[in-house]
This record gives sequence, C-alpha cells and structure tokens, in this order.
Amino acid sequence: MAVAVDNDMSIFSLIAGASLPVQLVLLVLIITSLFSWWYIFIKLATIKRAEASADDFENAFWTGGDLNKLFEGITAGHRKAQGMASIFEAGFKEYARHKQQPRMEISDVMEGSRRAMRAAYNRELDDLDAHLPFLASVGSVSPYIGLFGTVWGIMNAFRGLSNVAQATLSQVAPGIAEALVATAIGLFAAIPAVIAYNRFASSVDRLSVRYESFMEEFTNILQRKS
Amino acid sequence: MIRAYEKEVSWKAGAYAIGVHLVLLVALLISFNWKAAHPVLNIAEVELWDSLPKDVQKPMSAPIIEEQAKPAPIVDEAPKPETVNEEKPAEPKIDIALEKKKKELIQKELVKKELEQKKLDEQFKKDKALEQKKQLDALKAEVSKDKPIKNNTSDALKKLQQEALADDKSEGDKQAISAKASANAGVVGNAINKIQAKIRGNVNKTLCREGNPELMFDIILLPTGQLSGIPKLVKSSGSAACDEAVERAIMASDPLPLPADSSLFSQFRNLKLKFRPND
Repeated sequence: MAVAVDNDMSIFSLIAGASLPVQLVLLVLIITSLFSWWYIFIKLATIKRAEASADDFENAFWTGGDLNKLFEGITAGHRKAQGMASIFEAGFKEYARHKQQPRMEISDVMEGSRRAMRAAYNRELDDLDAHLPFLASVGSVSPYIGLFGTVWGIMNAFRGLSNVAQATLSQVAPGIAEALVATAIGLFAAIPAVIAYNRFASSVDRLSVRYESFMEEFTNILQRKS
Repeated sequence: MIRAYEKEVSWKAGAYAIGVHLVLLVALLISFNWKAAHPVLNIAEVELWDSLPKDVQKPMSAPIIEEQAKPAPIVDEAPKPETVNEEKPAEPKIDIALEKKKKELIQKELVKKELEQKKLDEQFKKDKALEQKKQLDALKAEVSKDKPIKNNTSDALKKLQQEALADDKSEGDKQAISAKASANAGVVGNAINKIQAKIRGNVNKTLCREGNPELMFDIILLPTGQLSGIPKLVKSSGSAACDEAVERAIMASDPLPLPADSSLFSQFRNLKLKFRPND
C-alpha cells in the first residue's frame, strides 16, 4: 500500500494548476513586467543618447565658433535637432527673426527668444519624462497585484484543507507554492521598475538642470551680441 | 505607446526585455528543485470483530456478504505452494493443512450445492442473468452458513494463516523486497490484532443489540499511539447509542499499542476501523 506518488511541482504545472484568478494575475504581471523592461531599455538608450548629444553640443558651443555656422550645421542635418541643440535652434531662430525686423526693442527680442527656448525646453523635458509614470506605477502597484494573486491562491489552498480531518503540510504546500509564484513575479516586475524609475528621474533632473543653465548662458550671449 | 524618436531603439529594447525574462525563467527552473515526492499516507483496514454471525436469520446487507465471500479465492491459490509449506515448523504446518482441508471440504460442498441449484433453476427459469444472480445469492448464503464452523478456529490460527500466506508470496517472488514487506505485514498484523483486542475489551456490547449493524471509524494516530483528535464516524450503525459506545471504547483505549519499529508507523497513521459489534 505504500505508494509514493511523484508530485510534479515544476513551475509549469504549478501555473497550470492554479485557479483562474491567479492565472489572470500572473498573465497581467508578466505582461506588465515585459512592458516595464521594454521601457527600461528604451529609456536607458534614449537618456544615454540625450546625455551624449548634450556633451557634444556643449563642446561645439563652447569652443567659441561662429553661432551662425553652428546654427546652420544643426538645421542642415536631415533629422530634427534634439536636446540642447533643439533649444539652441529655437532660441537662435527667434533671435534672428527679430533682429531682421527694424526698430525692435532689445528687451523684446530677448524676451521672444527666451520664450521660444522655454517652449523647446518643455518639449524636450516631456520626451525625457516619457514612460517614467508607467515605471512608477508598475513599481508601486505590481507587488499588490502579486499579493492579490497570492492571497487568492492561499484562500483556495486552505478551503481545500477544510475537508481533511488532519491537516498536513503536504496538503497545503503545493497550493501555497503556486500562490507565491504570483508574489515572486510581482516583485520581479516591481523591483527593477523602482530602481529604473529612481535612476531615470535623477538623470532627467540633471539633464533639465543642464538645459536650463544653457538657456541662461545663451540668453546672456545673445544679449551681448545685440 | 512609444515616441517617434524611440522607434529605432524599440526593437533592440524589446529583445533585451524578452531576454531578461528568459533568464528569469531559466533561473527559476535551474535554481529550484521543483520535483517533490510525497509518500501517500497508508491506510490500514482493521476488522475488530472478525468472527461471523451465528444467527443467519438476521437480515444482512449486501456489502457484508460480499466481503465474507472473499476468502474463497485464497483457497484456490493456496494449494500451489504446498511443497514450500512442508519445510516449515511442524505446528503451523498442521494448522495450515487442517485449515486447507477444511476449506477444500467447504468448497466441494459448495460446488455440489451449486450443481443442484443449477439443475433446479434450469427447470424453472430460462433467464440466465436472473439465474446467475440467484446462484450468487445462494452461494453467499451457503458461505455464511458454513462459516460458523470456521469460527471455532482461534485468532492465532488465522494469524498464522495470514503469515503463512505472506511467506508463500515472498518465496514465490524470491525477492528481498517482497520478503521484507511480508515480514512487515506480519508485524503489522500482530499490531493490528493488539489494537483489536484492546478496543474490544472496552466496548459495551449491550448497547448494540438490535440487528447486525456495521460501523466504520476513521482514527488518526500519533507516533506515540495516542489518538489525534476524536475518531470520525464514517459509517453509522443506525443507532446513535451503539455508535457512541464504540467511540467511547476507542477513546478509552487511548493510547493504542503500536509496533516498536517506528518505520512501520506510516501504516498506522490513518486507521480505518470496521466494527460489527454483534458478531
């Protein structure tokens, strides 16, 4: 009568044996995790590129070349200028337009180019901030989704236990193990999202500070020119 | 979902993201040994009243009859290893031989009566299914009529027979594992007899007077032999007083005697006790 039943506890059979709500939770979490990692890699690449282009532009700008030449170099490129270059482009274009008009007050010219730079700066910041709210939501919510799946699974496991006279650990263990998979995946989605969010937020802050200080300095240079 | 300027990196990022998840899956598969083997709890069935009813007139339920009729196949198997039995010590051999002769006699009688019954039935009825059913019923009645003869044989004899049967099996197999299993079966049988004796001594049989009820209790034992929780009534006798009497007897027998070998305890963890108090 001593029959040892080989209880298949592979991760696949655990997921297949889970109840429908737990499976839905797992599906949602896996999709969320995939998206959050996708955005993490996208943001890693774009922020790195924005920092590199800001470095390049600052180098080009502060070597003291002709501003007209720099402007032509930026607008000549087949693609739209990004980052600091786009702020410079917007400010310098506005300045040149105002300068072409006669009898223009210098303060009005400066004000116009400042507004143009501010608008370009906001667009750039909006691009830099893209997807960060999603990462923040994933980081804060997905542990709760995972916890919900776990609680549901454990509820089921204990409900099944009520029909048994003597509760042994082997009767609840598979149910709890399959329920805990939900928490594990929730944490797997949340931890990188939180880390990435914090890192990207600080990178975006530093970039925005660089953009703003460039705006101030460029305004001063334009003012000196006129 | 993604901005225009992100499009050129999106494919690469997607591939990385899927890669990360594959790494997680592989890590889950490798780092955990998900396979687990659980031994199923052994359930030994113990019959506390193994003697049979003396009063055949009393109404009997069908399942009981079927269980009583079961010993017949054992008789068919028994003659094969007879040569093996002769090598055994004198006392058990005689007992077994006696038992076998007795059983053979019973069977011959049965066959005779069956034949007579057949002739009678063929005269009266042509419907074969009905006929067979009747034969079966007759057979069962016969068996229960003949059983009281066997009742004279002591418990010890039965035990010996059980052990001899177990030995036969092991010698037939010639395998160490089965030999050990049969040895264990002997010890288990012993221990079950002890449990039987102890509980039987505590039952107030006067409370189970009417009819020939059968009840079944599930009890869960601790390794010390103590009861874990109260015995669970699986099948009632129909009389609450009788059920309670047996339940009290089980409680009074706490702790139950267990074999010294603790490795056999798994066969006693969940005991299903069958009672026929009026036998």
